[in-house]
Amino acid sequence: MPVLIKQTNQTQGEWSVAPLDQPKWQSSDTWSKGTPLILQVDEEPASEYVEASAIAIEFPAFIDGRGLSLAVLLRSRFDFTGELRAVGAVHEDILHYMVRCGFDSFELGDDRDADIALAQIAPYSDHYQASVVNPEPAFRRVNRGHNA
Amino acid sequence: MYQYDKFDHTFVAERVAHYRAQTLRYLDGKLSEDEFLQLRLRNGLYVQRLAPMLRVAVPYGTLSSDQLRMLAAIARKYDRGYGHLSTRQNMQYNWPELAEVPDILEDLASVEMHAIQTSGNCIRNVTTDEFSGAALDESVDVRPYCEILRQWSTSHPEFDWLPRKFKIAVTGATEDRAAITVHDIGIRAHRDDQDQIVFDIFVGGGLGRTPVVGVLMISGLPVEHLLTYVEAIMRVYNRFGRRDNKYRARIKILVRALTADGFRDRIDEEWMHLKSGPSTLTQDEVDRMRLHFTPPKFDTLPDFTDALAQQRLAEPEFSRWVKHNVTPHKAPGYAVVTLSTKVTGIPPGDVSDEQMDCVADWAEAWSFSELRISHEQNFVIPHVAQNKLLELWGAARAAGMGASNKGLLTDIICCPGGDYCSLANAKSIPVAESIQRRFDDYDYQHDLHELDINISGCMNACGHHHVGHIGILGVDKKGAEFYQISLGGHSGHSGIGATLGQIVGPSFARRDVNDVINKIFDVYLANRTQEEHFLNCFKRIGLEPFKESIYASSD
Repeated sequence: MPVLIKQTNQTQGEWSVAPLDQPKWQSSDTWSKGTPLILQVDEEPASEYVEASAIAIEFPAFIDGRGLSLAVLLRSRFDFTGELRAVGAVHEDILHYMVRCGFDSFELGDDRDADIALAQIAPYSDHYQASVVNPEPAFRRVNRGHNA
Repeated sequence: MYQYDKFDHTFVAERVAHYRAQTLRYLDGKLSEDEFLQLRLRNGLYVQRLAPMLRVAVPYGTLSSDQLRMLAAIARKYDRGYGHLSTRQNMQYNWPELAEVPDILEDLASVEMHAIQTSGNCIRNVTTDEFSGAALDESVDVRPYCEILRQWSTSHPEFDWLPRKFKIAVTGATEDRAAITVHDIGIRAHRDDQDQIVFDIFVGGGLGRTPVVGVLMISGLPVEHLLTYVEAIMRVYNRFGRRDNKYRARIKILVRALTADGFRDRIDEEWMHLKSGPSTLTQDEVDRMRLHFTPPKFDTLPDFTDALAQQRLAEPEFSRWVKHNVTPHKAPGYAVVTLSTKVTGIPPGDVSDEQMDCVADWAEAWSFSELRISHEQNFVIPHVAQNKLLELWGAARAAGMGASNKGLLTDIICCPGGDYCSLANAKSIPVAESIQRRFDDYDYQHDLHELDINISGCMNACGHHHVGHIGILGVDKKGAEFYQISLGGHSGHSGIGATLGQIVGPSFARRDVNDVINKIFDVYLANRTQEEHFLNCFKRIGLEPFKESIYASSD
């Protein structure tokens, strides 16, 4: 059974595994405001999408990074604050990138192990560069005096 | 040199732990071959023809003596006692065990090294001028900016899963020793008329199957905007670069499809949103990085010109070495030394663990424990007092690293080729060796002046054959190894961008390569004006005379 990994507490970075819900995702050509929208990785983001009840981005392959850029644009350029879900080829080892690009839920195929996936969400305590979850790069946040 | 702080140590330690866990999941059957492939590539591990190959990052080619000693120790402990200097200034091991790689990474981390992003479709190790911080013709020491780019690109959330690999090179000198215009992004740092450091950014250069010289996207970019501008380039590429065909996936293809002006418009549109945002570099950060690269405390040395001339007169072999392998230094009384790995019978770039230990010792004794790897696959000892040159030369000669051939025809750039690499169409090392044997005579080499022979075993062009004065490319003809020869390429120098070589014609069997090279030399020697180097001669007389001689029927 596919499952859903979802952020349950943003500030404390808590995640949990839940049974997969099935929103009625609409593609961009049939979508209307207030309903869930599903985007392909090669689609252009648009400002009206902020009014979607949730947005899913479908990854055609786990090595395809286009969905990461699309997520960053939706979050940081268009200020979409609703649920942003990764669907399609979601691989546990890409989760930490996805989280930092602004995804807060993942549809995990039944060939993946949810426990392993949960353990791959944050393998690093901090990162050098800015991200959606941490818009300030380390050099603005961390005192890194010479040899500190 | 850059020294890790707590932040760097923590990150690299977590990276090792993360990779160890991924390796264990693979060995445990929890990750498929294809899945693990993508993960190990992002940590420099290829599976090659004979064994895995681990590529260790040497950021911008700079190493300390302690780091090189660790590389020697790794060669002894996990490999067969040698390593290979790559054309991207990295160190490669050809025989590690896959299961032991996490242990190697842990050893590397103990000396502030790693193998992060040395392969895979991500931003690779940033390369630069191997003489940075020492070269007389340098206006900006670019290593602080290379380190800024290294940190920014490390595990970038958005740009680790690009359409294809991505290479950045930076230079701050008149002579472009980093070959910036044949990289995905090439950065030239210089000073504007207010003496402020600024960057000219080139995009879309590259070798490989479709060699292209990069085009200038912006000139005079202030330092603070470096990361946001590069981020804009990367986002356009990540979103719009082709992913349907790996041979059409490099950024150069996208630049060509959109045209340079069209691509620039896309970047500008993206940059508008990022410029002056949080990733804008702060003066504090730039200062912090510059502090890591303050010049060593050079001694005030007495003028050694006359004494060196005496030493050279007394020892002709030393004199040759000084002529070819010693380069002027910006500090009076100092010199930059290149130690050639190009010894006949040894694959270009291969160095033994003992040699690594020796080079580490010499750098410690005579160069503030600092050394470099050049893209020509040689070691560089950057800060040597001129009055120590003779001693260093003696030591280098005893260790088999004293060849006086930097820039000469036997200083061949060569990829591992079909002996090791599973991508290769043909072997390259035996071709290099055979040329070195045939044209070993120093006087002949010297008479030919500076001459770059670059050899790649396949279209991927790791041996940079497109920019060799003579380029040799291994091709497969119905299962047999053949070699295509091109002439007139160069990687850019004295402010002139790179030029790609022109193919002479149909390819040759390996046994004929030396004769063809010999004919090329003959045409050059017969046509050159006094002191005219091969490249200039080629530019003047063109391809035709070479073609005629090479393909003239023998009857």
